[in-house]
Amino acid sequence: MGDSGRQIGIVQSLASLMRGWGTLLLMSGFAGAGLTLWLGLLWAPSVSIDAFEAPVAQKIFYWHVPSAWAAMIAFTLLFIGSLAWFFKRREWGWNLHVASAEASLAFGMMAVWSGCIWGAAEWGVPWDWTDVRLNTFALLTLLAIFLVLGRKSQPDGIETRDTFATFGIYGFILVPLTYFATRFWQIRHPGPVIATSEGSLNSDMGMVLAIGAISFTMLVLGHIICGIRLTKMESRLLDIQDTIDKEGI
Amino acid sequence: MPDLLTMSGVVIKRGRNTVLDGFDLDLKNGEVVVLVGENGCGKSTVIEACAGLINLEKGCINAAKTTIRDSDGRHGRPVFPFGLCLQSDCVMGDELVKERIDDVAALCGKSIDGQALLKQWDLGHRSQDRMASLSKGQRRKVAVLVGVLPSAIADSPTVILLDEPDAGLDEASVSRLSGLIRDLADGGHGVLIASHNSKIIACADRIITFDDSVIESTPSDGVAWKIKSKPAKKSNIGNRLDRRTLGSLSHNIIPGLLVIGALLALADPTQFDSRMRIGAILAPALTAGLTGDPISSRLAEARSGDWWRSMRTMPPNALLHVLLGCALLTTLACTLFGKLDYTLIAAGAGLGMITASVILILHQATLRLSRPNALMIRLLTPALILPWAILVDRLA
Repeated sequence: MGDSGRQIGIVQSLASLMRGWGTLLLMSGFAGAGLTLWLGLLWAPSVSIDAFEAPVAQKIFYWHVPSAWAAMIAFTLLFIGSLAWFFKRREWGWNLHVASAEASLAFGMMAVWSGCIWGAAEWGVPWDWTDVRLNTFALLTLLAIFLVLGRKSQPDGIETRDTFATFGIYGFILVPLTYFATRFWQIRHPGPVIATSEGSLNSDMGMVLAIGAISFTMLVLGHIICGIRLTKMESRLLDIQDTIDKEGI
Repeated sequence: MPDLLTMSGVVIKRGRNTVLDGFDLDLKNGEVVVLVGENGCGKSTVIEACAGLINLEKGCINAAKTTIRDSDGRHGRPVFPFGLCLQSDCVMGDELVKERIDDVAALCGKSIDGQALLKQWDLGHRSQDRMASLSKGQRRKVAVLVGVLPSAIADSPTVILLDEPDAGLDEASVSRLSGLIRDLADGGHGVLIASHNSKIIACADRIITFDDSVIESTPSDGVAWKIKSKPAKKSNIGNRLDRRTLGSLSHNIIPGLLVIGALLALADPTQFDSRMRIGAILAPALTAGLTGDPISSRLAEARSGDWWRSMRTMPPNALLHVLLGCALLTTLACTLFGKLDYTLIAAGAGLGMITASVILILHQATLRLSRPNALMIRLLTPALILPWAILVDRLA
């Protein structure tokens, strides 16, 4: 076997390893997310009724925070993929962009939806248009919807990839803005409760949250790895179709 | 002779295909180069790349000492605008014939007797007509005139890019065009043409086929052609066009009026608290801004927007009219929901114009896509509610 044959062998081994990892992470993530939900709803201590208008609704926090965390990971990977495609023309960069956009959409929607439910119970309104954190995160999710639906509306090609990668790169500005929003312009969304001196999180609550964060991290990474595989398959299918168009069956 | 235009090692991909792979070309002063080849071989891609409309994967395109575009994303505009006629006519249907000629001259900082030029091309009687009312052949004549005009009034040699200029022209007009091309070359200008027409091919100094062969040719001489011109200032095409078509009235102001009507129908303004009142006063301007610039949709006609983009100048827009419209809407909303407040009127006008500008930028950012109209760019517009909400919060 020559050098190129050996390289193909290594890539194939890595691909099969990734395939295994992707499925494993996805399954473990699902199990972890289920465990988080169970622990959060049935085991974790309730918050003080004096501190919250709707203490029961606070339980949604164990779903909302990990999904927002996973969405942020997906947005960061989306940015990396966009950079790799736009500046280096790496095929893996585009595959990562596509898979991360889909994951960003899934987890972003989870965070926005659960946040609205909590907001309706706690504040009396599901949304506040003047809150910077709420709106920048919603905009990130809208960007993910735009990237996913927009890509499906266009034929695959260099123009499509460049345009969407540009949106992926500029859109990343919203990630640090969202992260620091409650530190600089806290309006309605609660401020940070972990890794800060003002943090008021009970240790049991912290443990459930940590399980949630780890599970959702595995879930998002598994989702992205499987998404990359799917995008590669789509590309292969298009190549085969092109070959058939040129050479006939 | 020095090169007016050079393409070095150009690689261009369109969609999933590589259209040009390491393509080189040089165009000298007074030279006519014709690109010949079957459909889809890349002739139009060469013309559009030279106009700076297509991103390069590799290589660079230079006009004299200016980089038109390179693979690192650098791009610039030549000292004097080049002549460009794409396969589409690149005119908006609402432009008047003479107005189009005058605007292109003004873009080059010159003023000419457009009526006389149109008469030479049997279009004198249509000078005050809208482009949409012309026949296909007449529109093509105007597109060709617009394509050669910058060179005909330039003080120094320039590049002329013509993509199938003969398409839709009758035999007499093609003969006149081939004579005109030789006259322009005799004036020192470099002409790059993509064509299948034998009369146009006959006026070439060099014929480039896409099977890597170059054919030298000896065409007949022409007589240098130059149009007399005077210095002139650029005019605001977008606002002029909008005044004539009343585009901003239907595009921006009517949606704003509908919002005022809906608010009046649903709520009693006397019951509004301060926050609600300011929100209601600024809502029509926000709506008017969200509908975007009234000219941008017209620029999609016959690739008119691409023509302006290639000139590296701000495309025509009517943002000034949007600003005035939003100020009017806010004034009306002030009188209906409270009392006149100049701060609120200024805020409404600014909010509407900034919102419309953002929509215009988003629209421009997606023009490179093969199906820009299929894109759901409006999905990103809810973000523009945030500045309105913050403004309402601060002003309340």
